[in-house]
Amino acid sequence: MKHIIKKGDIVLIITLLVLSFIPEGIFYLTGNDASVSRTYAVIQVDGKVYKEVPLSGHHGTDVIPIQTEEGYNLVVIQDESVGITEADCPDKICISEGFVSKPGATVVCLPHKVLVEVKSAGDDEPDVIPAH
Amino acid sequence: MKKTFHIIILGLFIAQSLVLYVVEGMLPVPFIAPGAKLGLANLITVIALYALPRKRDVCLILLVRIILATAFGGGINAFLYSVAGAAFSLGAMMVLQKTGKFSIIGVSTAGGIFHNLGQVIVASLVVENIKIMLYLPILAVAGTGTGILIGITAIFTLRHLKRLPIYRRMQEENQAIN
Repeated sequence: MKHIIKKGDIVLIITLLVLSFIPEGIFYLTGNDASVSRTYAVIQVDGKVYKEVPLSGHHGTDVIPIQTEEGYNLVVIQDESVGITEADCPDKICISEGFVSKPGATVVCLPHKVLVEVKSAGDDEPDVIPAH
Repeated sequence: MKKTFHIIILGLFIAQSLVLYVVEGMLPVPFIAPGAKLGLANLITVIALYALPRKRDVCLILLVRIILATAFGGGINAFLYSVAGAAFSLGAMMVLQKTGKFSIIGVSTAGGIFHNLGQVIVASLVVENIKIMLYLPILAVAGTGTGILIGITAIFTLRHLKRLPIYRRMQEENQAIN
Protein backbone atom coordinates (compact mmCIF):
# COMPACT_ATOMS: atom_id res chain seq x y z
CA MET A 1 0.00 0.00 0.00
CA LYS A 2 2.83 2.35 0.81
CA HIS A 3 4.04 2.72 -2.75
CA ILE A 4 0.65 3.46 -4.31
CA ILE A 5 -0.49 6.17 -1.91
CA LYS A 6 1.52 9.34 -1.54
CA LYS A 7 1.81 11.68 1.40
CA GLY A 8 0.14 14.38 -0.69
CA ASP A 9 -2.93 12.20 -1.08
CA ILE A 10 -3.56 12.01 2.65
CA VAL A 11 -3.02 15.76 3.03
CA LEU A 12 -5.35 16.41 0.10
CA ILE A 13 -8.11 14.15 1.37
CA ILE A 14 -8.01 15.56 4.89
CA THR A 15 -7.95 19.12 3.56
CA LEU A 16 -10.98 18.49 1.35
CA LEU A 17 -12.88 16.82 4.17
CA VAL A 18 -12.20 19.77 6.45
CA LEU A 19 -13.20 22.20 3.69
CA SER A 20 -16.49 20.39 3.28
CA PHE A 21 -17.47 21.66 6.71
CA ILE A 22 -17.25 25.29 5.56
CA PRO A 23 -20.98 25.62 4.77
CA GLU A 24 -21.69 24.17 8.20
CA GLY A 25 -19.53 26.86 9.77
CA ILE A 26 -21.02 29.67 7.71
CA PHE A 27 -24.54 28.65 8.65
CA TYR A 28 -23.53 28.36 12.26
CA LEU A 29 -22.18 31.91 12.27
CA THR A 30 -24.76 33.67 10.11
CA GLY A 31 -27.87 31.55 9.76
CA ASN A 32 -28.51 31.30 13.46
CA ASP A 33 -31.67 33.39 13.32
CA ALA A 34 -33.49 31.28 10.82
CA SER A 35 -32.29 27.76 11.40
CA VAL A 36 -32.31 27.51 15.17
CA SER A 37 -35.58 28.11 16.96
CA ARG A 38 -36.07 31.68 18.07
CA THR A 39 -36.51 32.13 21.76
CA TYR A 40 -38.17 35.03 23.51
CA ALA A 41 -38.88 35.89 27.09
CA VAL A 42 -42.41 36.56 28.25
CA ILE A 43 -42.73 38.64 31.38
CA GLN A 44 -46.06 38.24 33.13
CA VAL A 45 -47.29 40.23 36.06
CA ASP A 46 -50.34 38.93 37.91
CA GLY A 47 -51.21 36.63 35.02
CA LYS A 48 -51.13 39.36 32.38
CA VAL A 49 -48.41 39.70 29.77
CA TYR A 50 -46.29 42.68 30.73
CA LYS A 51 -43.66 42.50 28.00
CA GLU A 52 -42.19 40.15 25.39
CA VAL A 53 -38.48 40.37 24.68
CA PRO A 54 -36.67 38.47 21.91
CA LEU A 55 -33.67 36.52 23.20
CA SER A 56 -32.23 34.97 20.03
CA GLY A 57 -29.49 37.12 18.61
CA HIS A 58 -29.57 39.45 21.60
CA HIS A 59 -26.25 40.90 22.64
CA GLY A 60 -25.33 42.99 25.64
CA THR A 61 -27.37 43.72 28.72
CA ASP A 62 -30.84 45.25 28.92
CA VAL A 63 -32.66 45.99 32.13
CA ILE A 64 -36.41 46.05 32.56
CA PRO A 65 -37.57 47.46 35.89
CA ILE A 66 -40.98 46.25 37.01
CA GLN A 67 -42.68 48.42 39.62
CA THR A 68 -46.10 47.27 40.74
CA GLU A 69 -48.12 47.81 43.88
CA GLU A 70 -46.84 44.41 45.04
CA GLY A 71 -43.19 45.45 44.90
CA TYR A 72 -40.13 46.00 42.73
CA ASN A 73 -38.23 43.57 40.46
CA LEU A 74 -35.38 44.17 38.04
CA VAL A 75 -35.47 41.83 35.05
CA VAL A 76 -32.14 41.67 33.23
CA ILE A 77 -31.70 40.37 29.67
CA GLN A 78 -28.10 39.35 29.30
CA ASP A 79 -27.17 38.15 25.81
CA GLU A 80 -29.57 35.29 25.18
CA SER A 81 -30.57 34.62 28.76
CA VAL A 82 -32.93 36.27 31.19
CA GLY A 83 -33.00 36.56 34.94
CA ILE A 84 -33.99 38.71 37.89
CA THR A 85 -31.16 40.45 39.69
CA GLU A 86 -32.91 42.78 42.11
CA ALA A 87 -36.09 42.41 44.09
CA ASP A 88 -37.51 43.83 47.30
CA CYS A 89 -39.40 40.69 48.16
CA PRO A 90 -38.51 38.97 51.45
CA ASP A 91 -37.28 35.57 50.18
CA LYS A 92 -35.26 36.58 47.06
CA ILE A 93 -35.87 33.16 45.50
CA CYS A 94 -36.19 34.76 42.06
CA ILE A 95 -32.64 36.12 42.27
CA SER A 96 -31.23 32.80 43.38
CA GLU A 97 -32.71 31.12 40.30
CA GLY A 98 -30.14 32.93 38.19
CA PHE A 99 -30.32 33.31 34.43
CA VAL A 100 -32.29 30.99 32.16
CA SER A 101 -32.21 30.68 28.37
CA LYS A 102 -33.79 27.36 27.40
CA PRO A 103 -37.40 27.23 26.17
CA GLY A 104 -39.72 26.28 29.00
CA ALA A 105 -37.48 27.59 31.76
CA THR A 106 -38.98 30.07 34.19
CA VAL A 107 -37.95 32.57 36.81
CA VAL A 108 -40.69 33.29 39.30
CA CYS A 109 -41.14 35.88 42.00
CA LEU A 110 -44.15 34.54 43.81
CA PRO A 111 -44.77 37.36 46.31
CA HIS A 112 -44.89 39.93 43.49
CA LYS A 113 -46.72 37.61 41.05
CA VAL A 114 -43.97 38.16 38.47
CA LEU A 115 -43.32 35.30 36.05
CA VAL A 116 -40.58 35.30 33.44
CA GLU A 117 -40.85 32.43 30.98
CA VAL A 118 -38.64 31.55 28.01
CA LYS A 119 -40.63 30.44 24.99
CA SER A 120 -39.63 29.38 21.50
CA ALA A 121 -41.25 30.28 18.20
CA GLY A 122 -40.88 29.03 14.68
CA ASP A 123 -39.95 25.50 15.60
CA ASP A 124 -41.97 22.35 15.81
CA GLU A 125 -39.69 20.77 18.36
CA PRO A 126 -41.32 20.30 21.70
CA ASP A 127 -40.02 22.34 24.59
CA VAL A 128 -40.44 19.39 26.91
CA ILE A 129 -39.68 15.79 26.11
CA PRO A 130 -42.20 13.54 27.87
CA ALA A 131 -40.47 10.88 29.94
CA HIS A 132 -42.48 7.75 29.28
CA MET B 1 -7.18 3.61 -40.18
CA LYS B 2 -5.70 5.59 -37.35
CA LYS B 3 -8.89 7.49 -36.90
CA THR B 4 -10.85 4.24 -36.80
CA PHE B 5 -8.61 2.99 -34.00
CA HIS B 6 -9.18 6.18 -32.10
CA ILE B 7 -12.94 5.95 -32.48
CA ILE B 8 -12.97 2.32 -31.38
CA ILE B 9 -10.91 3.04 -28.28
CA LEU B 10 -13.24 5.88 -27.29
CA GLY B 11 -16.24 3.69 -28.04
CA LEU B 12 -14.85 0.97 -25.77
CA PHE B 13 -14.34 3.39 -22.91
CA ILE B 14 -17.84 4.83 -23.32
CA ALA B 15 -19.42 1.38 -23.53
CA GLN B 16 -17.60 0.20 -20.41
CA SER B 17 -18.54 3.22 -18.35
CA LEU B 18 -22.15 2.96 -19.53
CA VAL B 19 -22.29 -0.71 -18.56
CA LEU B 20 -20.85 0.10 -15.15
CA TYR B 21 -23.45 2.86 -14.76
CA VAL B 22 -26.33 0.52 -15.62
CA VAL B 23 -24.99 -2.32 -13.45
CA GLU B 24 -24.56 0.09 -10.56
CA GLY B 25 -28.21 1.02 -10.87
CA MET B 26 -29.11 -2.62 -10.33
CA LEU B 27 -26.91 -3.09 -7.27
CA PRO B 28 -28.63 -2.68 -3.93
CA VAL B 29 -26.43 -0.02 -2.37
CA PRO B 30 -26.54 0.31 1.39
CA PHE B 31 -28.45 3.47 2.13
CA ILE B 32 -26.01 5.99 3.54
CA ALA B 33 -27.60 9.16 2.29
CA PRO B 34 -29.68 10.10 -0.76
CA GLY B 35 -27.29 10.97 -3.54
CA ALA B 36 -24.44 8.88 -2.20
CA LYS B 37 -23.59 6.03 -4.50
CA LEU B 38 -20.62 4.00 -5.60
CA GLY B 39 -19.83 5.96 -8.73
CA LEU B 40 -18.49 2.94 -10.57
CA ALA B 41 -18.69 4.75 -13.90
CA ASN B 42 -16.12 7.16 -12.50
CA LEU B 43 -13.63 4.28 -12.60
CA ILE B 44 -13.54 4.49 -16.39
CA THR B 45 -13.08 8.25 -16.23
CA VAL B 46 -10.08 7.84 -13.94
CA ILE B 47 -8.55 5.13 -16.11
CA ALA B 48 -9.13 7.18 -19.26
CA LEU B 49 -7.55 10.19 -17.56
CA TYR B 50 -4.35 8.22 -17.05
CA ALA B 51 -4.41 6.04 -20.17
CA LEU B 52 -5.35 8.58 -22.81
CA PRO B 53 -2.83 11.33 -23.51
CA ARG B 54 -5.44 13.71 -24.89
CA LYS B 55 -7.66 15.24 -22.19
CA ARG B 56 -10.22 16.22 -24.81
CA ASP B 57 -10.99 12.55 -25.27
CA VAL B 58 -11.66 12.10 -21.56
CA CYS B 59 -14.17 14.96 -21.63
CA LEU B 60 -15.81 13.41 -24.66
CA ILE B 61 -16.09 9.99 -23.02
CA LEU B 62 -17.67 11.49 -19.93
CA LEU B 63 -20.10 13.68 -21.85
CA VAL B 64 -21.28 10.91 -24.18
CA ARG B 65 -21.66 8.57 -21.25
CA ILE B 66 -23.86 11.06 -19.39
CA ILE B 67 -26.05 11.68 -22.43
CA LEU B 68 -26.46 7.95 -23.04
CA ALA B 69 -27.07 7.30 -19.33
CA THR B 70 -29.83 9.92 -19.40
CA ALA B 71 -31.38 8.05 -22.31
CA PHE B 72 -31.10 4.76 -20.42
CA GLY B 73 -32.97 6.01 -17.42
CA GLY B 74 -33.14 9.23 -15.50
CA GLY B 75 -34.81 12.46 -16.42
CA ILE B 76 -33.60 15.96 -17.03
CA ASN B 77 -32.91 16.41 -13.31
CA ALA B 78 -30.55 13.46 -13.24
CA PHE B 79 -28.86 14.91 -16.31
CA LEU B 80 -28.33 18.26 -14.61
CA TYR B 81 -26.91 16.65 -11.49
CA SER B 82 -24.66 14.39 -13.53
CA VAL B 83 -23.29 17.18 -15.72
CA ALA B 84 -22.56 19.44 -12.75
CA GLY B 85 -20.97 16.63 -10.78
CA ALA B 86 -18.93 15.50 -13.78
CA ALA B 87 -17.73 19.00 -14.63
CA PHE B 88 -16.56 19.65 -11.07
CA SER B 89 -15.08 16.20 -10.67
CA LEU B 90 -13.22 16.12 -13.97
CA GLY B 91 -11.98 19.67 -13.58
CA ALA B 92 -10.55 18.94 -10.14
CA MET B 93 -9.03 15.65 -11.25
CA MET B 94 -7.34 17.22 -14.28
CA VAL B 95 -5.82 20.02 -12.24
CA LEU B 96 -4.59 17.65 -9.53
CA GLN B 97 -3.22 15.17 -12.04
CA LYS B 98 -1.27 17.93 -13.76
CA THR B 99 0.48 18.95 -10.53
CA GLY B 100 1.95 15.43 -10.34
CA LYS B 101 2.02 15.58 -6.55
CA PHE B 102 -0.79 13.12 -6.02
CA SER B 103 -1.29 9.46 -6.84
CA ILE B 104 -4.36 8.04 -8.55
CA ILE B 105 -5.98 7.50 -5.16
CA GLY B 106 -5.72 11.16 -4.23
CA VAL B 107 -6.91 12.29 -7.64
CA SER B 108 -9.91 9.98 -7.71
CA THR B 109 -10.88 10.83 -4.12
CA ALA B 110 -10.78 14.53 -4.92
CA GLY B 111 -12.89 13.71 -7.97
CA GLY B 112 -15.43 11.96 -5.79
CA ILE B 113 -15.64 14.85 -3.33
CA PHE B 114 -15.89 17.47 -6.07
CA HIS B 115 -18.57 15.39 -7.80
CA ASN B 116 -20.67 15.66 -4.66
CA LEU B 117 -19.88 19.37 -4.38
CA GLY B 118 -21.20 19.97 -7.90
CA GLN B 119 -24.32 17.96 -7.19
CA VAL B 120 -24.99 19.77 -3.93
CA ILE B 121 -24.65 23.14 -5.67
CA VAL B 122 -27.11 22.12 -8.39
CA ALA B 123 -29.44 20.63 -5.80
CA SER B 124 -29.50 23.86 -3.81
CA LEU B 125 -30.21 25.78 -7.04
CA VAL B 126 -32.99 23.40 -8.13
CA VAL B 127 -34.69 23.29 -4.74
CA GLU B 128 -33.83 26.95 -4.11
CA ASN B 129 -32.67 26.18 -0.60
CA ILE B 130 -29.07 26.87 0.30
CA LYS B 131 -29.35 24.67 3.39
CA ILE B 132 -28.75 21.58 1.26
CA MET B 133 -25.10 22.63 1.50
CA LEU B 134 -25.19 21.41 5.11
CA TYR B 135 -25.34 17.97 3.62
CA LEU B 136 -21.89 18.32 2.10
CA PRO B 137 -19.81 16.75 4.93
CA ILE B 138 -21.77 13.47 4.81
CA LEU B 139 -21.48 13.30 1.04
CA ALA B 140 -17.81 14.22 1.19
CA VAL B 141 -17.11 11.33 3.54
CA ALA B 142 -19.05 8.96 1.27
CA GLY B 143 -17.18 10.35 -1.75
CA THR B 144 -13.87 9.77 0.03
CA GLY B 145 -14.72 6.14 0.63
CA THR B 146 -15.74 5.39 -2.93
CA GLY B 147 -12.94 7.58 -4.31
CA ILE B 148 -10.27 5.57 -2.50
CA LEU B 149 -11.78 2.28 -3.72
CA ILE B 150 -12.04 3.57 -7.29
CA GLY B 151 -8.45 4.79 -7.09
CA ILE B 152 -7.12 1.40 -5.93
CA THR B 153 -9.13 -0.38 -8.64
CA ALA B 154 -7.82 2.03 -11.27
CA ILE B 155 -4.21 1.44 -10.16
CA PHE B 156 -4.54 -2.31 -10.60
CA THR B 157 -6.45 -2.02 -13.87
CA LEU B 158 -3.86 0.37 -15.31
CA ARG B 159 -1.04 -1.92 -14.19
CA HIS B 160 -2.50 -4.72 -16.30
CA LEU B 161 -3.60 -2.43 -19.11
CA LYS B 162 -0.05 -1.18 -19.56
CA ARG B 163 1.14 -4.72 -20.35
CA LEU B 164 -1.18 -5.00 -23.35
CA PRO B 165 0.23 -4.14 -26.78
CA ILE B 166 -2.90 -2.12 -27.46
CA TYR B 167 -1.93 0.32 -24.70
CA ARG B 168 1.34 1.22 -26.43
CA ARG B 169 -0.54 1.59 -29.68
CA MET B 170 -3.00 3.90 -27.96
CA GLN B 171 -0.15 6.17 -26.93
CA GLU B 172 1.48 6.10 -30.37
CA GLU B 173 -1.75 6.63 -32.29
CA ASN B 174 -2.72 9.51 -30.08
CA GLN B 175 0.63 11.14 -30.57
CA ALA B 176 0.31 10.62 -34.33
CA ILE B 177 -3.07 12.38 -34.28
CA ASN B 178 -1.61 15.25 -32.33
